[in-house]
Amino acid sequence: MNMKDLPDKELFTSGHTACPGCAAPIVVRNVMKILGEKTLVYNPACCLLVFGGTYPWVAWEVPYHHVAFENTGACATGMTRALKRMDRDDCTVLGMAGDGGTADIGFQALSGAAERNEDILYLMYDNEAYMNTGIQRSGATPFGAWTTTTPAGKVIGGKEQFKKDVAQIMLAHAVPYVATANLAYPADFLRKVEKAKNMKGFRFLQVYSPCPTGWRADTDSAIKLSKMAVETGLWTQWEADHGVVKINAKPKFTPIRDYLKLQGRFAHMTDEQIDVLQEWVKKKWERDEKWLGALSE
Amino acid sequence: MFEVRFHGRGGQGAVMAAQALASAAFREDKYAVAFPFFGAERRGAPVLAFARVHDTKIYEKTQVYTPDYVVVLDDKLPQLVDVTAGLKEGGMVILNTREQPDEVELPTAVRCGAVDATGVALEVFGQPITNSAILGAFAKATGELSIEAVEQGIRDIFGPRIGEKKAEKNAEAARVAYERTEAGTCKAGKALDASKKWLPDVHDQPMGLATRKTETEAGLVGIGSFCENKTGSWRTFKPEYDADKCIMCQQCWFYCPDAAIKRNDERSLVSWDFDYCKGCGICASVCPVDAIKMERE
Repeated sequence: MNMKDLPDKELFTSGHTACPGCAAPIVVRNVMKILGEKTLVYNPACCLLVFGGTYPWVAWEVPYHHVAFENTGACATGMTRALKRMDRDDCTVLGMAGDGGTADIGFQALSGAAERNEDILYLMYDNEAYMNTGIQRSGATPFGAWTTTTPAGKVIGGKEQFKKDVAQIMLAHAVPYVATANLAYPADFLRKVEKAKNMKGFRFLQVYSPCPTGWRADTDSAIKLSKMAVETGLWTQWEADHGVVKINAKPKFTPIRDYLKLQGRFAHMTDEQIDVLQEWVKKKWERDEKWLGALSE
Repeated sequence: MFEVRFHGRGGQGAVMAAQALASAAFREDKYAVAFPFFGAERRGAPVLAFARVHDTKIYEKTQVYTPDYVVVLDDKLPQLVDVTAGLKEGGMVILNTREQPDEVELPTAVRCGAVDATGVALEVFGQPITNSAILGAFAKATGELSIEAVEQGIRDIFGPRIGEKKAEKNAEAARVAYERTEAGTCKAGKALDASKKWLPDVHDQPMGLATRKTETEAGLVGIGSFCENKTGSWRTFKPEYDADKCIMCQQCWFYCPDAAIKRNDERSLVSWDFDYCKGCGICASVCPVDAIKMERE
């Protein structure tokens, strides 16, 4: 489905309370346009939970469910079992969690659900920190980023570890579909969501989702940053359909400095730190190309 | 003792204003406490903060329900929230407004201090952040604290957070606002509906899943009900659209986080729903032909 064919009907309504310029509602709106009304949604604790529904108000126009932070995989499994019991196989169960609820806190339930190959579409919107609780580092926070738990001072200059590659961990679970997607490439994004919708079994999508508030960036910068993340090579666009991998775009390797300087969370970074991150991008791509490339048949 | 309630929006610095006021009182050898209202507020959403000042130790730990003074940082808030709620007899409201005190309309006629804090902030440091300027107005209109103490309080609180230089600019904004503040009595306008609460019997609700869309005395609740939350009042900048330049690519429609852009059938051009547009500027940033420009409202 291309952009112009998307339906007008919004299944995630206006009036939600996301910060101005947040990318997560852009992801949700358009994902829901493809998944349609026969979708059941599970959210753990995350920004999306709060801005998409503050009891008794809800922005979702579909059955919507929330329990706790760490159990997206388990609760979404429960929803698939309920559907099975009702003899319904025409619905999609969408588990949508942030990077903290996926890479760290929710990981055991996610891994379990993937290993059992539950019929779930799991979407991780990756804003690279725990934003809902006020910007704390997660496993998906990039090297050098300031967060409230990786403050930049005289001794430590932001996060000292590199970003965890959750999609590749999910690939190791040998589930039917794993993909990374990015809003700056709408055709690719919509194709991947549609492909995931039409499959059975466990499907995992990791979507890049800029957070102007937590990244200390301008409210209009989300799409620009999304594009730069791919062009610099910080974000690799790839998909794995039943274990067969395809890398969707080769980065242009534009200097990461241009990307970093648009975000206050990197403002403190020294030239040495930027060099370290630039070198990591190079190594990461070499590894992606070699290791993902080897799985492309 | 006097008690103060601050009304602001997430990101305008109501919490820092309350802290700076407390620090100013402390500088005048008084006891003072300041604290925010904790909730699920995002940037742009209405928020509350409180301060108490006394000559002796303060043992009250509750929110401020019957303030002596109410400070309003945002000029659109009095149309949404009854800022005079609980105000003590003879109390005063300090407003950020371009109007004179006797032109201001609040639900009841009360003493009122008025200053164009947004104008002062834009003039002194070029950003529409009004927390420091409004404190200058507080000092002038109430006479409870000297402007010198307020300036010092701002330096105390703002300095460690945003740096000495910017803190000094904020102290200057307070001084400028102090000079320009007018005091008087406002007009009694129309009453705002006290927000009605929806308190259902828990046994009437479906287990686990979100409530069905239901019309209640507190308005719509349940799935899809967030559409009654008009987020358009968050806006500082507004998109201006030039239909002649538009090439109907629909990217603004796709990328609007708030689903505030509609595709029109007749000519396939787009239009904005300003009940919801938060003014983030993503539409202007993604438009390939510069048909959208962001202008100050």
